[in-house]
Amino acid sequence: MKRVKNFINGAWVDSDTKEYGDVWCPATGEKIGEVPFSTASDVDKAVQAAKKAYWEWRCTPPLSRARYLFRLKNLFEDAFEDIARTLVTEEGKTLDESRGEVRRMIENVEHATGVTTLMTGYNLEDIAQGIDCTAERQPIGVFGVIAPFNFPAMVPWWFLPYAVVAGNTYIVKPSEQVPMTQTRIFEALDECGFPEGVINMVHGAREAVNGMLYHPDIKGISFVGQSATARYVYKACGETGKRVQSLGGAKNFVIVMPDAEIDRNIPSLITSFYGCAGERCLSGSVLVPVGDVHKELREKFVAAAKALRVGNGLQEGIQMGPVVSKKHKEKILGYIEKGLQEGAKLVLDGRSIKVEGHLNGFFIGPTIFDDVHPDMAIAKEEIFGPVVSIVRVKNLDEGLKLIENSEYGNAACLYTTSGKTAREFKYRAVASMMGINLGIAAPMSFFPFGGAKGSFFGDIKGHGREVLQFFTDTKVVIQRWT
Amino acid sequence: MTLSTFGAIMGYAGDIVKQTEEAYQGLISKAKNPTLKQALQDLAGEEKKNQSLMERTRRENVTEMILEPITGLHQEEYIVDLKGVPQKDDTDLVKVAMILEERVKRFFSDASAKVPLPEVARTFRKVSQKREENLGKLQSLRLHQPLK
Repeated sequence: MKRVKNFINGAWVDSDTKEYGDVWCPATGEKIGEVPFSTASDVDKAVQAAKKAYWEWRCTPPLSRARYLFRLKNLFEDAFEDIARTLVTEEGKTLDESRGEVRRMIENVEHATGVTTLMTGYNLEDIAQGIDCTAERQPIGVFGVIAPFNFPAMVPWWFLPYAVVAGNTYIVKPSEQVPMTQTRIFEALDECGFPEGVINMVHGAREAVNGMLYHPDIKGISFVGQSATARYVYKACGETGKRVQSLGGAKNFVIVMPDAEIDRNIPSLITSFYGCAGERCLSGSVLVPVGDVHKELREKFVAAAKALRVGNGLQEGIQMGPVVSKKHKEKILGYIEKGLQEGAKLVLDGRSIKVEGHLNGFFIGPTIFDDVHPDMAIAKEEIFGPVVSIVRVKNLDEGLKLIENSEYGNAACLYTTSGKTAREFKYRAVASMMGINLGIAAPMSFFPFGGAKGSFFGDIKGHGREVLQFFTDTKVVIQRWT
Repeated sequence: MTLSTFGAIMGYAGDIVKQTEEAYQGLISKAKNPTLKQALQDLAGEEKKNQSLMERTRRENVTEMILEPITGLHQEEYIVDLKGVPQKDDTDLVKVAMILEERVKRFFSDASAKVPLPEVARTFRKVSQKREENLGKLQSLRLHQPLK
């Protein structure tokens, strides 16, 4: 049974804690490891190491820093399949999904190697007679990420490569539910030869989180998780004067217009709602047929959902894995119960699914409610599982109203063959990641990732060009030599 | 078994080239004509390279955003049973090699039309087209070499 360790100052070390959490395999329901609930003192050790490493790293030329990332990319390519399989084992998603996640992790490393372009400032001569002005981007110090369970490989790397290549030093706190993946990633990183203290990892839960949020020497925090926690992180960083980008939860609406190509788009819709067993902040959650498309869409969508192969994600060809934990499964089952109590019509019930050879796994089959009213909990709250709520509307305006009234604003998707409708949708919908004839509007590393309203707290989103602004201070230098 | 995911297709693509390489290794030891022996060694070497190519293609092209279910590609359609096929002399061996090449060509051609990723489809098409060339070479070997 593996007990994961922290990685501080270039060494694998035990935590000071006596408290450990269990790590589970969601497909088998078996305990596969233990994770330390690191203390504030563990966090402090990582911060001190990162602080000590900062100045020398900050003075290392950007291109030299980028070369570490080039080496790291190759190490990640070598470890690719192993990382992907570790991820499936502890998180539950399918091998394809897992490989896709690792790919996106590496893409961020690749994008960050462009630091010599991404980090440049700007200048203007003669802002007044004989006076020149330059704006230079400088690193700031120690940054950290507090990561969620659903993308254990990728999410820390939405931030880390950019922070580090810009000259900052870094601390990763993986989700305590899925600590093995990042541990495997750090084993590869350990071979890369980064100077000691530049990149550190501290496992843990609440105490480690607060240890980071309230540490005076951490300059900025990136967070991804539930909205309530995102709000808490945002507030704490405000109190302690930290930079913060805090990405929260979602309730994503997928509108299907009567002119949409249903047959062509069913695979895309299925991926949107059931990819990663619905445990992603970009998953479709509410399916919104407009007008008379409802009957055909429902029939075809239900048939496709029924045909999904649910099982252990390690088996090639499985299309949907289990949810992450027993506790999370119970929460999702609670929502299904709530939907029934509120009067929605259960047209596909995934509660009783049995996966051969995996009777203790945390599986829930594809589930679909029809006749869902916008006021029902299943239409408003984040379920984060393979449960679809169908809310019918008469026209696009009504669909846009649903999005507007939601407390979240992460993603929204539209299926149509009309450019005019698509334009109106992307123009008016209050969500930050939009999909047109695409069910997973996932910005790649070179575009920003983050939502609106209750889905995002902060100013600068994850990755993309802008993220370099988060990890640097723009120093303005005004000079007169004449 | 239906190959309904990107991973399943890539996994089978890896299997099919590995199986073909193994089959060629078996044929090499039986071949008597040095030209045929070399040709089979080249084909086995090609399949060895293709195994790495399939692994790299899967790793570099898996696109998480569009992992959509794939339909209409069935593993059963590419099963080749060589048990009843005679392998007594070099002429027989060429025939077996042609069966193997035909199978690989057909799979990669069919799969290239199913995978929604241009880079992967291009790689598959290239592998399939190379089989066409190989079939031509084997055919000419059969016609022009005295394979006794």
